[in-house]
Amino acid sequence: MTFTIITLVPSLQNTNGDAENAAVLARRAAWAGIDARVVAVEARADLPDRVDAVVLGSGSDASLERSRDLLLELHDELRRWGTEGVPILAVGTGWELLSWGIEHPDGSSIEGLGILPGRAVPRPGGRVTDDLVVTELGTGRTLVGFENHARDYVGAEASPLGRVRAGHGNGRGSGQEGVVMGEVIGTHLHGPVLAKNPELADRILATMAERAGVAYEAGERARVVDGYADVARRAQLTAAGVQDAVA
Amino acid sequence: MPAGALRYAPAILVGRLTRFAARLRKPGGGSAVPGLVVNRIAPNYLKRTLSGFPQGLVVVSGSSGKSTTTKMLVAILRAHHVDVFTNPSTANISQGLTSALLERADWRGRVPGEMAVLEMDEGHGALVMQGVDARAVALMNVMVDQIDRFHDSEMVAGMLERIAARALETVVVNADDAYLERLALKVGPDVAVRRFGVSEAVLAAAPRGLGHAQTAAGRLQAGDGVRLERVDGRSAVIEDHGTVVAVGLPARGIHYGVDATAAYTTAKAVLGDRFDRQTAADALGAIPAVFGRGERVLVRGQEVDFVLVQNPASYQLNVDSIEPGTTDVLFAIGSDVRDPSYFWPTDASSLGRVAIVSGSKAAEAALMLAYDGVEIDRVEPDLGRALDDFLAAPAPASGTKTIVFSADSMRRTRAHLGLTGAE
Repeated sequence: MTFTIITLVPSLQNTNGDAENAAVLARRAAWAGIDARVVAVEARADLPDRVDAVVLGSGSDASLERSRDLLLELHDELRRWGTEGVPILAVGTGWELLSWGIEHPDGSSIEGLGILPGRAVPRPGGRVTDDLVVTELGTGRTLVGFENHARDYVGAEASPLGRVRAGHGNGRGSGQEGVVMGEVIGTHLHGPVLAKNPELADRILATMAERAGVAYEAGERARVVDGYADVARRAQLTAAGVQDAVA
Repeated sequence: MPAGALRYAPAILVGRLTRFAARLRKPGGGSAVPGLVVNRIAPNYLKRTLSGFPQGLVVVSGSSGKSTTTKMLVAILRAHHVDVFTNPSTANISQGLTSALLERADWRGRVPGEMAVLEMDEGHGALVMQGVDARAVALMNVMVDQIDRFHDSEMVAGMLERIAARALETVVVNADDAYLERLALKVGPDVAVRRFGVSEAVLAAAPRGLGHAQTAAGRLQAGDGVRLERVDGRSAVIEDHGTVVAVGLPARGIHYGVDATAAYTTAKAVLGDRFDRQTAADALGAIPAVFGRGERVLVRGQEVDFVLVQNPASYQLNVDSIEPGTTDVLFAIGSDVRDPSYFWPTDASSLGRVAIVSGSKAAEAALMLAYDGVEIDRVEPDLGRALDDFLAAPAPASGTKTIVFSADSMRRTRAHLGLTGAE
């Protein structure tokens, strides 16, 4: 059994290193004794037979339409994966492209793939780049990361990823961050969010394992490495002024 | 004496006193504070001084390689007997630039030199260059860098475009960079575009590419510019419109060859008929290794390699060029890297094992290395202690002790080890 984790359009959608979350899943699987590989999918022809998880990172605004057109080739698969419970992590503009659409300040818009509810709308205050700390809905766990986006997100109010403790998140006074539908997660938490938040990574891996009919338990090496993540998280919580959050 | 010649004397005096005070506080150290003070009390000083060099101003900017290229360009121009004023690479933003000018200014604020060659931070350059005209602007590349400052490549390209718009005579661009090629198309009709680039063979020798946010689809054809034909260790061959020029490089690495080609092309554009190929080649070959950029230094009685990582592209190139089998590596990332996310696409697995991970971002760095499959012996956020222990350890089993650091950690390392004046 080999986990196959695909990363979609990494040539355009890896600005903040978000596509590397695929490698984080593969590495943690390997540490747990499960073979895993990452397949970069730039076009439909690259699709492997088996897909255990999907990562879609963030890109620049200039490449929004090109990425969207490439993702449209995979529209049917994305819908099917979303319905079947294949974990999908979409970050930043990758998430926005999976939404209903993206609105620009000049009134023009880009239609999204409609996999996730809601849409990206211009952010009145301009771009935010800052620490983002979120209390995850349901688990109460603290998610830590960095955000870098020029748009707010509306329409996720019914099923956000969590509540914002520090930073902006979805904005528009919602106090919320991200959107979740089944196993599909959209978030502004960019970069190695799964390395920084290993419990989220392990939850995704547990879902993958369950679907594949194998057992997943984080490996010995993961415990050491999660120690680094813990120190990094604490430093970021302090920087963001939310020391009281559970690291 | 023309009217207004004494306009800046009071500000210069204040700047001097500030510098004196800063030196008392931090002996041997450079400081941006005098520049900050003068910029505040005489806001036009920087603009006027930069515009006042008889043979004009040449600006080098871009995401990566601007320091080395600036040094190379200055060396070539000086070899052609041009009296050049230049800034140390640590002073490439407004206050630092003014401080650097003050270092050389007489009491009226005049700075000696026929020509100024300045390395300009891509973020601050657009602001510094407002109202300043340059003869030539050389642009190195657009790479993913400091996401919290630059957000994305379009933003960097936009900043470089604003700097390029200040060029009166020539814009020099890297033809391998798709962003810069697009920028070159927008240059005004009176401004010449000069190109440099690498051959197919050089690009093929860089399995991970050259780090451009977007590499141009095609390579520069012979006759369309100055082309880096090949790089072999510290030797490179440049093809200049049919003439082949052999040059020496200050260190191994394709990026040094690219920097040399950029400096050569810019010098040629600026000097015109005065440019001599052999003089340029000799000047390039005589450049000593740049501090912290692949330099071997004698520290506490032992040889240590310093490797500076500034952005993902230089990180990858420099990590790849560390000799395989090097067992003793100290890896330090400091506060200059606010959020290291943008470094994650790099691959440091070739390091295999790192002895100490340090710097204020030690945990973040360790996390990234661990997911690259690198073994980590120790995480020690205190850089001073990490350096002391690393240097006190016995000689490595193989290779040279190697310190990989970000710019902030480099400065702290230099201060801790008492290494000054190397830049």
